[in-house]
Amino acid sequence: MTAPQLTVAVLGGGTMGAGIAVVAARGGHRTVLRDLTDEAVQRGLDTAESFLRKSASLGKLTTEQADAAVANLSGTTDVADLAPADIVVEAVFEDLQLKKDLFAELDDVVSRDTLFHTNTSTLSVTAIAAGSRHPERVVGTHYCNPAQLMKLVEVAEGRHTSSEATRRSLEYLAGVGKTTVITKDRPGFILNRFLIPWENNCIRALEAGLGTVESIDRAVLGALPHPMGPFQLLDVVGLDVHKAVSMRLYEQLREPRFAPPPLVDRMIAAGDLGRKTGRGFYTYESTKAFGA
Amino acid sequence: MRTFQRVAVLGMGTMGGGIAQVVAASGRDVVVLETDQQRLDRGRAAVETFLDGGLQRGKVTAADREAVLARITGTTDVADLAGVDLVIEAVVEQHEVKAELLGRVAEVVGEDTVLTTNTSALSVTDLAAHLPAPQRMAGLHFFNPAPVMAAVEVVRALQTDADVAADLVAFVEAIGKVPVEVKDRPGFLVNRLLMPYLNDVVQEYDDGLASAEDIDVAIRLGLGYRLGPLEMLDLIGIDVHRQATEAAYRATLDPQFAPPPLLAQMVAAGHLGTKSGRGFRVGLEQGGTP
Repeated sequence: MTAPQLTVAVLGGGTMGAGIAVVAARGGHRTVLRDLTDEAVQRGLDTAESFLRKSASLGKLTTEQADAAVANLSGTTDVADLAPADIVVEAVFEDLQLKKDLFAELDDVVSRDTLFHTNTSTLSVTAIAAGSRHPERVVGTHYCNPAQLMKLVEVAEGRHTSSEATRRSLEYLAGVGKTTVITKDRPGFILNRFLIPWENNCIRALEAGLGTVESIDRAVLGALPHPMGPFQLLDVVGLDVHKAVSMRLYEQLREPRFAPPPLVDRMIAAGDLGRKTGRGFYTYESTKAFGA
Repeated sequence: MRTFQRVAVLGMGTMGGGIAQVVAASGRDVVVLETDQQRLDRGRAAVETFLDGGLQRGKVTAADREAVLARITGTTDVADLAGVDLVIEAVVEQHEVKAELLGRVAEVVGEDTVLTTNTSALSVTDLAAHLPAPQRMAGLHFFNPAPVMAAVEVVRALQTDADVAADLVAFVEAIGKVPVEVKDRPGFLVNRLLMPYLNDVVQEYDDGLASAEDIDVAIRLGLGYRLGPLEMLDLIGIDVHRQATEAAYRATLDPQFAPPPLLAQMVAAGHLGTKSGRGFRVGLEQGGTP
């Protein structure tokens, strides 16, 4: 069985955008990556292509499959080129106005049937959808990083999302090999809703002297079904990113446990952002991120 | 330094049996105290089943299996505990029961024997205060299933001698586990972190964030946990979690430990998780709510 080939437009050539483009292209769909500059577009396409080539060299894809996926990829800086898109996936900076403006702009370019997917992790799908004159076509599809490797996508409907848009979205995601979960349009969906207070609680336990970085990680790894200790994970995520996500949830939920504990600010002030700066809760010899 | 070659375990339920198995596997002799022979037999059968599983997966040899079982002796007479170097209490999580039993055991073993409790919800300091020579009392908190989970919390009560804590840390390493020294606070360290997370999930589930299955799938696939929070609660037991988080709430009045109302309702309905055949995930294959 082959699903019909769609045209998927991906907005944003960053880490998430490139990963989402890989997912679409590998799934057999014509994929157009759009960013603001030629350099950003090329960077995104290069990231996507080198991942697909590596998949072939590791035997995860045949050479023919990788070639076909690469052939599905193209790039543009011109929104007008997105006119044939059946699905637009927005993976731009986590800024509400930016995302709303993009969907408003696309309303005039694409057809009435085009689906709008937003990859927001912490903003409201309903609020983003309000940027479009047709909010019923907007669906939250939150991919995990790296999108080309992680199977999970959290799917959330905004207040005005049509059930038909959701149905088509779930069909598309299943077709490109994703496992979907359905969640309400609430701050943090499932993952960040539970991960952020957990991490902040671990940081507070450290601040309170309940254990050391090492002993808390050791206890969690030795007693719970987690693949990483909380401080190992925070170093991978980056303290600056953790703070930004925490703050966005705190601003919406107004509950103190979402607020980043003071240690986070001090570590950011000291430049100890985690693996990417060589020092966070632990120190690292290499600043190369996992799996990059 | 004490190496604790002769160990007594009080209680042969899930935790007591698992702890006895772990200690016996390290080459130490273990005597397990229970209230009647039937409980001893049941506990021993559970250890045998566990070891059989290990045998099938090639994790233990037939000789290991026999040796471990041979080192575990059961008794219903507290007098048989005389001469042990270390006592690990793992009976029901009720203050009066633990305090009374530890008092009787203390009379038999004398004041040089180190006494420990596997409590997860009670104050070790408070239990120690009921005993002669409270400085030899500490917490030794194993996780379920004890033969599988690596971490063991070594809990220092306010009275615990520094050398008792140090010897227990060495003992935990000697039986192949990972010691984590913690203060005697409600939930110690691991449950102090785990309970708010589980409560949070239960409340959001009750508030309709997502289905129980989708919450577990998201956490497994998105965060890489080997178990989702709701299937984990089914394994822990809804009643056990509720009791633990209620105790932490009463001790701290911290709302993050307050048991979500759904827990009390599930307990009232007899939906206790895996052990009762119905919980958040088990028993719902045909649909329905917990």
